[in-house]
Amino acid sequence: MADAMSEGEAGGLPAWFLTLRRLVDAVTGALNVAGTVLILALMVLINVDVIGRAFFGAPVSGVPEIVSMSIVAIVFLQIAQTFRKGRLTRADAMLGAIEARAPRLRQGIELVFALAASALVWQLYTASLPLFVKAWQRNTFEGTVGDFTAPVWPVKLVIQIGCAALLVQLLLFALAALIRLVGRRG
Amino acid sequence: MSPFEIGLVSFGAMVAMVYLGFWVPFALMLSSYVGVWAIKGSPLLAGKLLALAASETISSYFFGVVPLFVLMGYIVSVTGMGRDAFDVANHLFRKLSGGLGIGTVGANAIFAAITGISIASAAVFTRIAVPEMMRHGYSARFSVGVVAGSSVLGMLIPPSLLLILYGLLTEQSVGDLFIAGVIPGLLLATLFGVGIWLTARLRPQALGEMSDAATRSPLTQQELVAKSLPLLTLIGAVLGGIYGGYFTPIEAGAVGCLGAIVIGLARRSLGWRDFWQVLNDTGLVTAAICFLIIAAQMYSRMLALSGVPAGFGEFVASAEIGYWGVILAYVALVIVMGTILDSSSIMLILVPLMLPVLSVMQVDLIWFGIVTIIAVEIGLLTPPFGISVFVIKSALDDPAISLGDIFRGAAPFALMMLVLLALVLAFPSLATALI
Amino acid sequence: EEMTVTIVAGHPPVFRWVKHASQTFIPAVNEALEGTDHSITWSEQYGGSLAKVGEELEAVEEGLAEIGLVSSLFDPAKLAVQNVTYFTPFVISDSTVVSEWMDELQATDEVMRASWEANGLEYLGGAIGIDDYLLMTTFPVEDIADLDGRKIAAPGPAVNWLEGTGAVGVSGNLTTYYNEIKTGVYDGVIVFASAALPGKLHEVAPYITKVGFGAQYAGGLAANKDWFDGLDPVVQQALRDAAEADRVAYHADLDASVSTFLSMMEEQGATISEVDEAFRKEWADGMDNVAKLWAERLDAEGLKGTEVLKTYMDTMRAAGATPVRNWDQE
Ligand code: NA
Ligand code: NA
Repeated sequence: MADAMSEGEAGGLPAWFLTLRRLVDAVTGALNVAGTVLILALMVLINVDVIGRAFFGAPVSGVPEIVSMSIVAIVFLQIAQTFRKGRLTRADAMLGAIEARAPRLRQGIELVFALAASALVWQLYTASLPLFVKAWQRNTFEGTVGDFTAPVWPVKLVIQIGCAALLVQLLLFALAALIRLVGRRG
Repeated sequence: MSPFEIGLVSFGAMVAMVYLGFWVPFALMLSSYVGVWAIKGSPLLAGKLLALAASETISSYFFGVVPLFVLMGYIVSVTGMGRDAFDVANHLFRKLSGGLGIGTVGANAIFAAITGISIASAAVFTRIAVPEMMRHGYSARFSVGVVAGSSVLGMLIPPSLLLILYGLLTEQSVGDLFIAGVIPGLLLATLFGVGIWLTARLRPQALGEMSDAATRSPLTQQELVAKSLPLLTLIGAVLGGIYGGYFTPIEAGAVGCLGAIVIGLARRSLGWRDFWQVLNDTGLVTAAICFLIIAAQMYSRMLALSGVPAGFGEFVASAEIGYWGVILAYVALVIVMGTILDSSSIMLILVPLMLPVLSVMQVDLIWFGIVTIIAVEIGLLTPPFGISVFVIKSALDDPAISLGDIFRGAAPFALMMLVLLALVLAFPSLATALI
Repeated sequence: EEMTVTIVAGHPPVFRWVKHASQTFIPAVNEALEGTDHSITWSEQYGGSLAKVGEELEAVEEGLAEIGLVSSLFDPAKLAVQNVTYFTPFVISDSTVVSEWMDELQATDEVMRASWEANGLEYLGGAIGIDDYLLMTTFPVEDIADLDGRKIAAPGPAVNWLEGTGAVGVSGNLTTYYNEIKTGVYDGVIVFASAALPGKLHEVAPYITKVGFGAQYAGGLAANKDWFDGLDPVVQQALRDAAEADRVAYHADLDASVSTFLSMMEEQGATISEVDEAFRKEWADGMDNVAKLWAERLDAEGLKGTEVLKTYMDTMRAAGATPVRNWDQE
């Protein structure tokens, strides 16, 4: 399905837009790689913990905390790429039927959807920002003093970055729909 | 409007937006944002609810299972262990009528014991089983139908991402849920196998001009061992590790990944490029699922503030439809939503709504989980949105086989799932006997 | 004046402190407001419907709920000084005393008060005391050496209590203890009786050892400060009085059930033993002075940990406790 989406996705879009999107995609892709590396690191960490506990009576401290913080980071690092690849769940049967009869109407609906989603993600970004600032200023941590502690702010920062990246992708999606809507029949 | 009415209206609006094709997580988010705004009278508070849910919902050790089981399933399929399962199952069923079809079901059942997601099963066996069956004269519709139908085993036989999700939602033991899935999973595989065998006997033309598996050369003893040993080792490590008490389900996921990598490297079937690709896909699946979970959490908090679940619970508890009325209405609702929604969305929308009701009626939540999974998985096969069918279509790369063909091929299997559902409803011990 | 107040708890009402919020605190407020111009419609959000365990503080701070059962135990970073009891084991086993004095300290001690205010909260009272923590194991414990190499799960800060015993401490969670002991992931847990019985932990870890870790303070009722400051003094007083009534009723209930719970577990096959003074002293002496480490870390963050540690220990000694180790005087 992702393939079907990328095929012909350049149709009706001007060169400047495609250049812009390549730049944005590079950033989105880099965040995605960071998330991918984090998944790999998590897998290694848990194996080290299991082996340490089973054979050496020496578990790694803080694995539950690290896992719980990493999973949030993974999701927000990769959410923009997930959207870009068309993997965000949607039921597009109705949209497909509309497109067959009135392609422009579909672009209009896509534009409204993308703008609504952008507004929501912007809302999420601004409402999350104070949480990051607080975690930074108060140096909030997870874990237990004496055993394992890790600061919370990096995860909160990743949430901000992820929201921003998703917002940019949504706006580009909206822009593409707008260009197709007002552009010549392609 | 009272908060209760606001809750109902936002539920309706959310369903409408989903049907129209708005991204499901955003439909959930929008209805909760506007709902909380209307209930509390403050857009600021509505934004705060979104932000708190985003940072806290999945910030839990237990969500570590999501990427790990997805990754394990993918590694297993790129390293060729799925094909091994197919070869072994066919060897075992080669003497039966419709043997290749039954073999596909059997291979899926084996593969299901190491993968947690049905789309992995669907993708793997489209590549392996469909060409083989068509080469032996099975019709295209039947070939893809078997693969679509038996892919549901991937999330019924443990490990299962859906059971994990249900466990997270209802605070039930994932280990108990896994055990509860075993008998229904094997029973469904048996139903599928018997169904194929009977069809091959009574109406062979329905399967096409099959010449069947007997024409395939059987595996030698040595090949059989070589193909089944890695699989059995991995299944043993993952499930034995969980039930033998060596590690938690999360750890089992990580150990299973490592095991699959080691096997892949030992067999020289796991290249760096494949591995990186698979890691990337894991991330995308994880992000898509978790983002959906976050949005569903926002939505269920909005519902809680509106008082709809509590009111719904009181209504059902005092209504005259009774225990079976509630359960059957719920199952029907799940199947209807399954026509347009993916499995996790349905569970995330309906289960929080049902939980207060279930606790009033003192329903066994493990049994209810299995009922939910089976009903939800029927949706994998039903049009217009059937994710297993979509995956098969995109993995098939054959314009001669339309989406409609696959849906029609899968229909008999969806009917057999209804039979299983009825059996589990009538005999709850099918789910709870082993716990 | 009529208002809607949302009260939030991450735990479901089967937990005793949540039950009392619903059945003691709320009725007490309503009763106190009868005959005044004020009345409250309650929206009760328990069991994670609005905030999960450990999220109550932020839900109240941000104003999504007006009042919350805020668990300091699960917010060790934001309510650091309130966790003093978890870093000072072997002090006192009576949870009623611990709670009464902790509530008192929340009101009188500058550092404690500042901690709530920094999070935008007004502490109402209603301390959640936790009965004496027990060691529950799959094997009998007669000597500290018996613990050598065993994997013991404990909640958050209590992992530190296992330091120096030779046991491997694992940070665990009440909801998974049963399964993980049953399957052998853990050989035992540190847990309190009023959670052990409902969780059927004695079925899988039948050896119950009363080590004397002591009773603990896990949190209390707190309100959004901006909201609280805007209330009529009559309502403010009603909330405070109701919180106190809640604490008294909760602890009376707790005390009555703890001994019942212990004897029920014994009837169902558990073996209960109490260690002697020498064992207790050996355990306590073998530990690092984690209280001191904790206090110094807070000092470094400008949170006056040493002062809180001393105030708490002084208060408990004045209340009649005879600590096995005087953590503040080393
Ligand atoms: Na499975
Ligand atoms: Na469907």
